[in-house]
Amino acid sequence: MKTHKIKFKLNGETVLAEVKPNEVLIDFLRYKLGVKSPKIGCDRGDCGTCTVIMNGKTVRSCLVLAVEADGSEIITVEGANKNKITQKLQKKLHEKNAFQCGFCAPGMILSATELLTENPKPTKEEIKEAISGNLCRCTGYEPIVQAIEETAKRENGE
Amino acid sequence: MKTKIKEKKQIKEIKKTYSELDAVGKNLNRIDGWEKITAAAKYTDDLEFGPALLYAAIVESPYAFAKIKKIDTSEAVKLDGVVRVVTGKDFPYKFGLYMKDRYVFARDVVRFVGEQVAAVVAKTPEIALKAASLVKVDYEEMTPVLDPVKALEKNSPLVHKDLKNYPHVPWFFPKPDTNIAHWRKTRKGDWEKGFKEADVVFEDTYYVPRYAHCAIEPHSVIGLYDDSGRLTMWTSSQSPFTQRNVFVGALEPFGIKHKDIRVISTYIGGGFGGKAGVSMEIIGAALAVSCKGRPIKVLWNRAQEFYNTYQRQGVVTKIKMGVKKDGKITALEYTLYWDAGAYVEYGANVVNAAGLSSSGPYRIDNLKIDSMCIYTNLPPGGPYRGFGYSEFLFGLESHIDRIAEKINMDPVKFRKINAIKEGDTLPYGAHMNPTGIQEAIDKVSKEIRWGVKEKSKDKNKEIGKSVVCFWKSPAMPPNASSSAFIKFNEDGSLNILVSGMEIGQGLLTVMAQIASEILKVPISKIRVETPDTDRNPYEWQTVGSHVTWGCGNAVKRAAIDAREKIFDLVQRVYCLDRSDLYLEDESVRCKTNPNFKLKFSDFVINGIQAEDHTFKGGPIMGVGMFMPEFASAIGDPETGQGGHPNVHYTTGAAGVILEIDKETGKMKIKKAVLAVDCGKAINPDLVKGQIVGGMLQGFATVLYEDMRFDQNGRLLNPNFSDYKIPTAKDMPEEVVPIIVETPQPDGPFGARGVGEHTMIPCAPLIANAVYNALGVRIKSMPVTKEKVALSLLKEKKS
Amino acid sequence: MPIIAEYEYLKVKSMEEALKIKSEYGNKAKVIAGGTDLIPLLKENYIRPEILIDLKGLKEIYEIKIKNNFIRIGAGVTFADIIKSKTIKKYFPILWEASMTVASVGVRNRATVAGNICSAVPCADSAGPLLVYNADLIVVSEKGERKIKIEDWFTGPKKTSLNEDEILLFIDIPILKNKNAGCYLKLSRYEGEDLAQGSLTILKTGEEYKIAFGSLGPTPKRAYKTEEYLKGKKINDNVVSHVQKIIVDEISPITDIRATKEYREHMAKVMIKRGIEKTISRYYNGKPKYGEGMIE
Repeated sequence: MKTHKIKFKLNGETVLAEVKPNEVLIDFLRYKLGVKSPKIGCDRGDCGTCTVIMNGKTVRSCLVLAVEADGSEIITVEGANKNKITQKLQKKLHEKNAFQCGFCAPGMILSATELLTENPKPTKEEIKEAISGNLCRCTGYEPIVQAIEETAKRENGE
Repeated sequence: MKTKIKEKKQIKEIKKTYSELDAVGKNLNRIDGWEKITAAAKYTDDLEFGPALLYAAIVESPYAFAKIKKIDTSEAVKLDGVVRVVTGKDFPYKFGLYMKDRYVFARDVVRFVGEQVAAVVAKTPEIALKAASLVKVDYEEMTPVLDPVKALEKNSPLVHKDLKNYPHVPWFFPKPDTNIAHWRKTRKGDWEKGFKEADVVFEDTYYVPRYAHCAIEPHSVIGLYDDSGRLTMWTSSQSPFTQRNVFVGALEPFGIKHKDIRVISTYIGGGFGGKAGVSMEIIGAALAVSCKGRPIKVLWNRAQEFYNTYQRQGVVTKIKMGVKKDGKITALEYTLYWDAGAYVEYGANVVNAAGLSSSGPYRIDNLKIDSMCIYTNLPPGGPYRGFGYSEFLFGLESHIDRIAEKINMDPVKFRKINAIKEGDTLPYGAHMNPTGIQEAIDKVSKEIRWGVKEKSKDKNKEIGKSVVCFWKSPAMPPNASSSAFIKFNEDGSLNILVSGMEIGQGLLTVMAQIASEILKVPISKIRVETPDTDRNPYEWQTVGSHVTWGCGNAVKRAAIDAREKIFDLVQRVYCLDRSDLYLEDESVRCKTNPNFKLKFSDFVINGIQAEDHTFKGGPIMGVGMFMPEFASAIGDPETGQGGHPNVHYTTGAAGVILEIDKETGKMKIKKAVLAVDCGKAINPDLVKGQIVGGMLQGFATVLYEDMRFDQNGRLLNPNFSDYKIPTAKDMPEEVVPIIVETPQPDGPFGARGVGEHTMIPCAPLIANAVYNALGVRIKSMPVTKEKVALSLLKEKKS
Repeated sequence: MPIIAEYEYLKVKSMEEALKIKSEYGNKAKVIAGGTDLIPLLKENYIRPEILIDLKGLKEIYEIKIKNNFIRIGAGVTFADIIKSKTIKKYFPILWEASMTVASVGVRNRATVAGNICSAVPCADSAGPLLVYNADLIVVSEKGERKIKIEDWFTGPKKTSLNEDEILLFIDIPILKNKNAGCYLKLSRYEGEDLAQGSLTILKTGEEYKIAFGSLGPTPKRAYKTEEYLKGKKINDNVVSHVQKIIVDEISPITDIRATKEYREHMAKVMIKRGIEKTISRYYNGKPKYGEGMIE
């Protein structure tokens, strides 16, 4: 099995690495690069905790090979913490006590960031659709949906 | 009677203090909020252990019940990168929380599909997995026991032949040479007479399948047994101290004692009971001991999370109830056959809890409960949010609606007539604590417009409503205790050290609010962190919705202790009468001397400088402990009378407005309401969080979740593709949380727990609302849309 | 969960390069585009390829292009691309509607339509729309190009008529000249993402209906007898109750973990009734909008 040299941007910084073709992106990010915000929940694309933003779109990093990251731009919550939309959302999430155990938070925040970036005025249904791939077992989703809704409202000066 | 008067006085006093509260009762933001929202929060598998870290993979049983003839590890050992292969031979000691009925690895016999038979420790996860596939195990298959009722038949195979030799707590009653691991009998009054007096006697059977917790974070553990003989365990756990104790139980023969084990718990990604006690963590401990000097990680994948951690037990429940025409329940006979699984070291206590409380929150003078913990060859049952109450409540609350209909009585009125009151005799003889259940029923009924029949705009749909009641007590040993340390920092900020676990419920915030209330330090200046058994004081476990109450009492006492030390010091140095001293705004003040104001930051570490330039005092610390000294688990084995096993009950009511499509069976929750008497909501917003989240988890168990096993005992849906947990699109249209506050006299500021309660009424709510809408009664969970549609279809045909 | 299988990986620069490997390795070479189906199979160790051919470097696979009388969808087009495409929404709204029900955003951003039909599970959401729209599948190998009709594509559960040395390159869908409307109905256990317990796709053009079902038999399939019966009929209660009988004869559902045979049969009847109602309403009134009310 030949290794491959890859080069990509992670949270704005260039990463150069050598990976095996059977390395999965989530494992590579967490265990090789020490980026721990994406979590492992189901390892088969069902739960959304491993969500990262790849070339502007959320993907399941458990369903991407590390070698496929070559040439891409990847953002995790460590990077999104500096993003203005994310910050506004985070403030609302905090005000609403929106998370309980917090394990789904990184994936949820990135999915909501993608939504608010592409669609600054989402309807409640669109919000639910956007985060419906991020499973949360604690909150019943209500405070999370409300926080996203209110972020959008504030963003639009309503 | 005396205690009742005393309690009334206590409640009055507690209520008097409410108007002056600064921190308790306020909707403050979580103190762990930013950590979680910025992803700074670390969970067990986020910790770094360097390149020496080793990885484990498990060899699992493919059979539900089989003899292990031979294990050949020779091929696995040869693989490059394999460090060790261990089997049951290496760990010949049993362990368990309430009953020692398990080995670390199966020895001689496997008892469920997926049971650990051996483990490989290797330098990478890939090598470990490959090597595990090279371990050859010869089995001799046996006929598995899969049905708890059939397991009681005379010719049934025995899951545990050696039951009579298993050590257990004194409140368990195993029946050797049967599959009954524990039989909780509760007898009160004369039930035969009660049935005779009844105008209507009605009996039926209800079925509840197994369920999975589905915390989004899988279990994980890292163990390091260092060369000095010290074992450190990093675990994703609700129970660090209980884990330490169970580890000692299993590892003592290796010379490992309590002081040698240190359990460190990080944030955990959801527990719901699944991370209480010890499940897969024992493997981490055993492997660490086998590979001295190197850290070892065991990480469960999602499938293992489903089939090899605790599961919520299935149960078959038979109810016989007698009622008078005026609505009074005259007698109840309730038999519960629990499918407890292959090992019941924890699950038997779920059975016990249900056996003590299956009357539900009703006064029933003539009562016979038999709750049987039955071994089967399915994965081990164990604690799950609700601890047996969700299970018995499905049948009980379904049955109540049905029997009320038989006497032509409104089911809400029926519940109000029978609802338990303060001072009523409980099933085991002790007396009921203060309860606001009537208020809860009224508020819920009003909120769902009970009694008003509503019509859907869609001709294919009908609307149904229901109201049910619930109660639950913490199930714990009578001497389960809590303790707390509080220490001041130079700037007057605080660290609170407790071992209650933050499992999402907001424990850290609530503990900060309690300390803040006593010490008048804002919670922004209080840090509370997850525990380390070496550094933090004892807490039994974070289960049973009891830590706000238990740990909260300990924190309150620790805060008072710190305050008293402050008063001692100020009195000594300034010659002020301590009875005039009080705390305000991070300072010590004096009633008789309004100009006196000593800021905490001026003395809590470095003391107070006296007139002679010497310093008095020193770092201020507080210590608090709490144990329910009135509790006792020992009652008569044949009747359960005599003890005081439950410390108190939290009660409440819930209601639902449900819209159902008559053709597809699809159900939409238009409105869900839950009123819970939490005594005093320390943080109402967090209580509401428990209600909204708990209800969705409860609705999922009745609408679409369940574990399916094939005829060989293999779990068919160990993944989220086929075990469906709710998404944001599955939220009810509206959830109305209602807080009722009848103070608990021995709770911190009157508080009692609410965490589990919000989930347990949901199943009968749906079953009863379906009946209310369509006249179709579904007696087995889950009440899926498929069952609803097909039942209607059947009815139409007949 | 690590992947134990060891294999080579090649991000090809040309289709020729990919086909060369495919002809050499056959089934031991697996094509990866979105990878959302492939990677779980690798993790479970169900497949152990010798080489992965990554097509994502090829520009031609990303196109959604109007050709003369058809629209071409490349093998790299994701469900998210379909949902965003105004062309697809305009010409093939049922495919658009079905795409909205595929998994969730994070998966749709990666999962491709081509991958969906290559996996060929009975519940594949894109299959029904492609069947009623009469899509052609353009597959290539070193030997050349061939066109496979979508109705000949699914040969069994997880089986297709794609040869070992071939790669699915394009999905061509003929543009309908006449007024048309339809719907994709998906029966699932709850509102969140789910694999269909059963699905029904209906397309009405003039007096003709095209109907396909999923998860109600071993493969996604057209319901020809039902179509034949409906042809030219004015829809009334009688016709609907008759068509319900026909569709039940035409499907062959089983009981599995997602639903019983009994419920699937019952729901096939409910879906055909509601699907026809919805289709007619869309055909004449343009309501409900596509994407609204899957099974009410």
